[in-house]
Amino acid sequence: MSLALSIVTVRDIFQSEVQEVGRFSPEYQKMSAIIILDKGDMLSMGITEGGRLIVESSSGSVVVAAKVDDQPHKGLAFMPNSPWSNQLVSEETGESRIPEYKSIQAEVSTTDAAITDLSEIIARMRE
Amino acid sequence: MMAICTGCSLLCEDIEVDFNEGKISTTKNLCRKGLGRYRSMYTERAIPRIDGREAGLDDAISRAAGLLKEAKRPLLFGWSNSTLEAQSAGLDLAQKLGAVIDDTSSFCQGELLEMVLKGELPSCTLDDVRNYADMIFYWGSDPSNSHPRHMSRFSYYPRGEKRQRGYDEDRRAYAIDVRLSPTASMMKEGFFKVAPGGDASFMESMLAALGGKIPRLQDKKKVIAMVNAMKRAEFGAIFPGLGLAYSMKGRMDILKRLVDGLNETSKFSVIPMVGHFNMRGFNQMLFEKTGFINRVSFADGVEHGPEESIIDASKSCDAALVIGSDPISALPGGLARSLAKIPTIVIDPHRTLTSELAQVTIPSALSGMEAGGSALRMDGVRIEFEPIVPENDLLPDLEILKRIAEAV
Amino acid sequence: MLSVMEIYQLTPKTNCKKCGLPTCMAFAVALLGKEKKVNDCPPLMEEAKYQAKREKLMEAMAPIEGASETGLIIHEDKCYGCGNCVVACPVNVANDPKGSALGFGPTNDKAILIVEDGIVKCLNVEECRRFGPNKILCNACTATCPSKAIEFV
Repeated sequence: MSLALSIVTVRDIFQSEVQEVGRFSPEYQKMSAIIILDKGDMLSMGITEGGRLIVESSSGSVVVAAKVDDQPHKGLAFMPNSPWSNQLVSEETGESRIPEYKSIQAEVSTTDAAITDLSEIIARMRE
Repeated sequence: MMAICTGCSLLCEDIEVDFNEGKISTTKNLCRKGLGRYRSMYTERAIPRIDGREAGLDDAISRAAGLLKEAKRPLLFGWSNSTLEAQSAGLDLAQKLGAVIDDTSSFCQGELLEMVLKGELPSCTLDDVRNYADMIFYWGSDPSNSHPRHMSRFSYYPRGEKRQRGYDEDRRAYAIDVRLSPTASMMKEGFFKVAPGGDASFMESMLAALGGKIPRLQDKKKVIAMVNAMKRAEFGAIFPGLGLAYSMKGRMDILKRLVDGLNETSKFSVIPMVGHFNMRGFNQMLFEKTGFINRVSFADGVEHGPEESIIDASKSCDAALVIGSDPISALPGGLARSLAKIPTIVIDPHRTLTSELAQVTIPSALSGMEAGGSALRMDGVRIEFEPIVPENDLLPDLEILKRIAEAV
Repeated sequence: MLSVMEIYQLTPKTNCKKCGLPTCMAFAVALLGKEKKVNDCPPLMEEAKYQAKREKLMEAMAPIEGASETGLIIHEDKCYGCGNCVVACPVNVANDPKGSALGFGPTNDKAILIVEDGIVKCLNVEECRRFGPNKILCNACTATCPSKAIEFV
């Protein structure tokens, strides 16, 4: 089953710290390739924390780990600002030429696929 | 010894570092983000490369100059992590090459900063906020995560000249956000949740309350109470983050109406929460020289518009110099792919996704630690700094740009 | 951190008095107040039927073991190094009026909270207002923390 969500990108101090020190590290990948769901949304997907989700927008898709927080935000999900979240952001920027970083319409579904590796994202750039 | 941090645009000057055998051993007063910046001195450092292979530094600089000279429409992008002196050299280079020049504010805080620099939104310094602000608004911003010492050094917790009794008695802070962020969780009654994209209608509600009308929102009483307090405030400070910048892009006139309305009875200032340590420096410098804060082409006189933004330039330019920025990481995937197709030169202290794909990589010194210079804090205050590790083999941005300019 | 009722549920609830207190509820209160330890209850330690309860209780009490005399715990992995607690602490403000009080890092060695290597440290904990015979329930540091990295047990 898939769930339609609106994704907002956010800043996380610990992920920022690791970005400075190790942009290519597994630690950075672990802290970036995540999506924070509302508790009810998580339950409806039938997964638990750490379960893998494929997140697809009209611009691209990534496989990330599901996380949950204790705030109510049904239909809304959060991702730290990273190359993973940016695979989902549309190229359409309108007159302003500012991308919709904080308004990403996506579908999420469970998957057995591995978390998208940074090397995969870099490879996509070379296409 | 005393040091400065270039981890964000707060440019904290009270950092203490101790060395042991040439490497930093302990630090004081650095937040986690700043600590990351300092630790990065020792990790993932860039090395000179040409076409993916390690090369000599001089050869890399030569090749970079060659690529820029051959290009018909080169793009010079980045700048927000460079000193004022380097930014100025970058502008000279852009003029010499007839290039397009743009910085990260183009998809970040450009709109709000432009309004501040043009005087359309009143502003003040962070020291003014500490000394005088009795009402503080974190609007679509989460300083706890983006500028961790913002609230403790300036905006909420410290005492000030007219705020001697501190945050508990002398200040009221509010957070307006789509979620109860870590910053919002400390605001007590001062949190307003808005739907994504709902900031404009929230502002219209505030404007209604300001005009004595009933706001058209659920929590009418709370909005009215807040607006009444704002009317009586002695000194209000609004800190818009990317949440507000993106939600209201192209519609900032509503914010202007709100701030103008508030300034009829009280005093409200706006300080956009710029991210990188010297983004404001670039915008102010370019504004003084050209009347524009970003997105300028010197191909035919001085042109400014959407075609000169990184978004368009990543497709229309035929070579790019990327300095102190990682657009391959930061741009939407499709636009990053376009940028990856054009010959790129990266000047950066670190290995980045952009440098992985670049034709030329030139390693640079980390501003603030390995190279000195000056920068503008997020409030426009000029901060000067000396390197704490002056003896190193790395060239500052300024020097690299000068050498490229000589060779083109 | 467990509440007094939750701790009480993990005791034998027999009021046997072997710990020296009249009831298991009193023992639960004493555990929270660090006046008793789990191994002060012989039935919990010796009887097999209480093994699950004992293990749960010891796990719950472990953070308290690590707490300072004031009950202060710092979860280093959660600390932002933001300095809110350093600047809000009334002792820091009183002892360092030209430094912490104004938002700077501490400028003398009388500060009790400082940020070192991105993490807050508590020095001279006896100076904390929650300590000693005239203690008060000051919560300036915990209420100003964005991540609950600093808390009292």
